Amino acid sequence: MGVIVRRLEEDDVAHNFDCNDDALNNYLKKHAWSNQQKISIGVTYVVVDESASKTMLGYFTLATSAIPRNSFPKKHVRGLPAYDLPLILLARLAVDHRFEGRGLGRLLLREALRISLSVSEQVGCRCIITDAYRNKVSWYAKYGFIPLEGGGEDKPTQRMFLDLRTLKAALKG
Amino acid sequence: MPAAGTNKAQRKNTRKPKFQADLAPVEDRIVRSLKEELQLSSNSDFMADAIALFRWAVAERKRGHKIISESTTGEREVLVLPRLERVAPEAVLPYVNITWNEEELESLMNLALAEPAQPTEALVRAMRG
Repeated sequence: MGVIVRRLEEDDVAHNFDCNDDALNNYLKKHAWSNQQKISIGVTYVVVDESASKTMLGYFTLATSAIPRNSFPKKHVRGLPAYDLPLILLARLAVDHRFEGRGLGRLLLREALRISLSVSEQVGCRCIITDAYRNKVSWYAKYGFIPLEGGGEDKPTQRMFLDLRTLKAALKG
Repeated sequence: MPAAGTNKAQRKNTRKPKFQADLAPVEDRIVRSLKEELQLSSNSDFMADAIALFRWAVAERKRGHKIISESTTGEREVLVLPRLERVAPEAVLPYVNITWNEEELESLMNLALAEPAQPTEALVRAMRG
């Protein structure tokens, strides 16, 4: 199966998409396009089969964010430059359960990381952050994401961090 | 007593750069009118204020913020200046706010200030694949 990753388009077919998670399904079906085109709070990339290029097999959504400098613990603020800390948010990543086990998650993550690197060169970014479902933490950790402390076991997700310097090192070898 | 040559070199290093611009008559009139309205007596003061405003606008757009003028009746207009749009991150990715708690920020700071972790084998394979 030949697949391609590209930006979400208006006439993409989302109604059949099912990753066994209602929140992730609904986001793609109801919000991804308007968030991308109308209110501009996230850009979604989809993976499609070359032979059925409107049917989505998986997707991820990216956005930029920043942490205001004055919100960091005081002991750190003194040593920081006078700017907010810019970062990239990997907001969502999902694969249709009927296409699991074919490396699509890895492919999507790779594209997300490549785009993040490219964005970081254009606008400056320090790290990538994602809120991973707890049963996916080990999957992200395999690719170098580090769990942040303070997430709380009661939360359904774990906030994770990937340093862009680590990502650059992965490319250089 | 320092050598005379040293003082001369120091003076040269602290000399303020000159900024010269060719203005069309209409632009010159606008500058004069703005200076009058803003009660600015010199071109240097005018430049300093203009730079401060432009710098702020660039910083806001870099953060993904839109620059909006709102009338007394609530009508809004968004400033779209092509050169300013070049620095806007949403040209590439949009901007969102994320909620953080103190522990997460502490943890993030510790990681961000430390030496970066070595890439995992899976990451290396994925990125080079």
